Amino acid sequence: MMSLDEPGIRILLVDDEEAFTRNMSKLLVRRGFRVSTADSGEAAVSAVEESEFDVVVLDLKMPGMGGIEALKIIKRKKPMVEVIILTGHGSVETGIEGMHHGAFDYAMKPIRIEELQEKIAEAYQRKKIRLQNMQR
Amino acid sequence: MNSNGDIKSGSYRKSAGATKKETYAELYRRFILLTLICSVFPLILVGWGIYTYYSEFATARMVDYFQNLTEYHRKIVELFLKERTADLQLTAFTHSLEHLRDTSNLNRVFNTLNREEVFFTDIGVIDDRGRHVSYVGPYDLMDKDYSETFWFKRVMERGVYISDMFMGYRSVPHFIIAVLRSDENQKWILRATVYTDYMRSLVEDVKIGETGEVYLLNKEGVFQTAPRYSGKIMGSAPFRMDVFTEESGIHILEGGKDDLDRPLPKQIIAYAWLKKPRWLLGVKQDYDEAFRAVNHANHAILIFLHVSILAILVVAILTTRHMIKVIQKRDEEEERLSMQLLQASKLASIGELAAGVAHEINNPLSVILTENQVIRDLGEEATSLDGDFKGQLFESLSQIEAQVQRCSHITQNLLRFSRRSKSKIEMVDINKCCEEVIELLEKRAQTSGIQFIVDLENDLPRLLSDPFQLEQVLINFISNSIDAHEGKPYGTIRINSRLNSRKQGIEINISDTGSGISQENLKRIFDPFFTTKPVGKGTGLGLSISYTIVKSLGGNITVRSEMGKGTEFTIFLPFRTAKDFEDSPYDVAG
Repeated sequence: MMSLDEPGIRILLVDDEEAFTRNMSKLLVRRGFRVSTADSGEAAVSAVEESEFDVVVLDLKMPGMGGIEALKIIKRKKPMVEVIILTGHGSVETGIEGMHHGAFDYAMKPIRIEELQEKIAEAYQRKKIRLQNMQR
Repeated sequence: MNSNGDIKSGSYRKSAGATKKETYAELYRRFILLTLICSVFPLILVGWGIYTYYSEFATARMVDYFQNLTEYHRKIVELFLKERTADLQLTAFTHSLEHLRDTSNLNRVFNTLNREEVFFTDIGVIDDRGRHVSYVGPYDLMDKDYSETFWFKRVMERGVYISDMFMGYRSVPHFIIAVLRSDENQKWILRATVYTDYMRSLVEDVKIGETGEVYLLNKEGVFQTAPRYSGKIMGSAPFRMDVFTEESGIHILEGGKDDLDRPLPKQIIAYAWLKKPRWLLGVKQDYDEAFRAVNHANHAILIFLHVSILAILVVAILTTRHMIKVIQKRDEEEERLSMQLLQASKLASIGELAAGVAHEINNPLSVILTENQVIRDLGEEATSLDGDFKGQLFESLSQIEAQVQRCSHITQNLLRFSRRSKSKIEMVDINKCCEEVIELLEKRAQTSGIQFIVDLENDLPRLLSDPFQLEQVLINFISNSIDAHEGKPYGTIRINSRLNSRKQGIEINISDTGSGISQENLKRIFDPFFTTKPVGKGTGLGLSISYTIVKSLGGNITVRSEMGKGTEFTIFLPFRTAKDFEDSPYDVAG
């Protein structure tokens, strides 16, 4: 588990529910993460193109470009970015579908901060291992 | 409102039922009518044809028979008269007047003529002045003068004469045959009285049925023989002679009443004319008797026809009843199936709705949860806050979080329900599946006094299957096993799972100590709608659905049962790959 004392994990939080991104970003920042937010799939893709992120937390159901579509583009443009799928559908199927397209893991809404924090830490861990493997 | 609605739907159902009943009654009437038209009408047509043809044919045959009979008897009578005439002619032309004047010679001739059979009563020789010059016979007719009699004149004119019956000097009905011998210098007549009894026996002794009679009539309608019923010899016939044509033929005498107002039956007379003398030979019989055989056959045809119509009617009624029953049953099944379809689609719609609602609720729940966490964070950081206040605040926040989690569980359950209508193939832990179902049904079993004995083989490999459908199958079988104990105070249900390495699959065995299934019912337990449970308790679909599910998952079910001892179901599920499910209606989870 990644601890709070490892700052610098850059997170992009994507959800069309503004209240959720606002609160969640506050909570994550408070826990030492560097958080940016986007309210749509398109905004998420632009953000990933413009800045570097370690982990993207991506809601699946959004107006306009959906989460799966955004996931495909993000993974194509920045393969090293780890993506965690958030689904309000409460079903494993959509999450699994996301994992087929390269997502690291999925989580079901509503999610407790500790749980998300844990998943982010695991994702970051994996990214680090993949980077190390590439450098060898 | 609710009760009004119920009343309305009740009356609607009732009226729909009544309409259906009327429809079946109408259908019944139509079928019967159609069957009757299609079968009875041709039958009547054929029957009528046979009846008419046979009547005509048999009547013609009967008429032919009558005519032949008449002709036959006419020939006999005519032949007799010809022979007797020839006898006298031969005698006259082979003997001289002088020879026959001698009574002893005439007596010899008379005896010769009657040697074989008595044909003549007497014989006499009459000279050209009409005087009897020689006579042999029982009467005293010697020297009688016949010059003024009608027959003397006739025979002198024609040479041969056969008289009608007449009384004459002897005052008994008789008739004579007279032949004229005409030489150059003299004319004389040989006359003989025919033995009437012999002649009459030829006609009167003929018997035709009970009412038949044969007789001879002269042109004037006077009986020359005694008819058996309709008159006496030399009496007048009870009908006019102009009804008979000059040729032979048939005449029908319509019934009516005689002079004494007695009923007269309808009669048939076949007749033929003799050439010499001009007598009519009649064969008469009551029409009903003559055609009794024909009428009998016709009656038989009519009876056969009526019986056939009755049989068709009975068969039509029975067949139609059966057909209506079949149709009714089929309609009911169709209705039941559409009700189930409706139910299924309702459930599917509820599932869709539930999924939508769950999703919509999950988002605000997420926000609430994060807000809750923000407040908690702030509370933890705030140093100025009173310790009691903080304690209460965190307690409330915990309560909020717990309630959010509760809502989340509700939405997850809703989503699980919505997923039940869908089929999904994934790696399934059979033992886990069994345990879940057992846990679900354990309470119900306990209240029925039933104990579960569970023996699940450890470390069973997981297999590719549909967990929700498998769960449904297990629920159906175990529920049935519980129900099989009805009426028993206690019982056991054993649930085993084991690897079947020979068949490459997993077997789940469910055996109970219930009432068992009869051999007859055992063949039908997987038929849809077959149930032995009381009305309203079982749909008869559980085992049928289970069978279909197991089959579609590539497995099979075997049953062993003994009445009074219990039943054992074995569900076999094979290890399959995702490829095996390619042509199935299932989605395979990757």
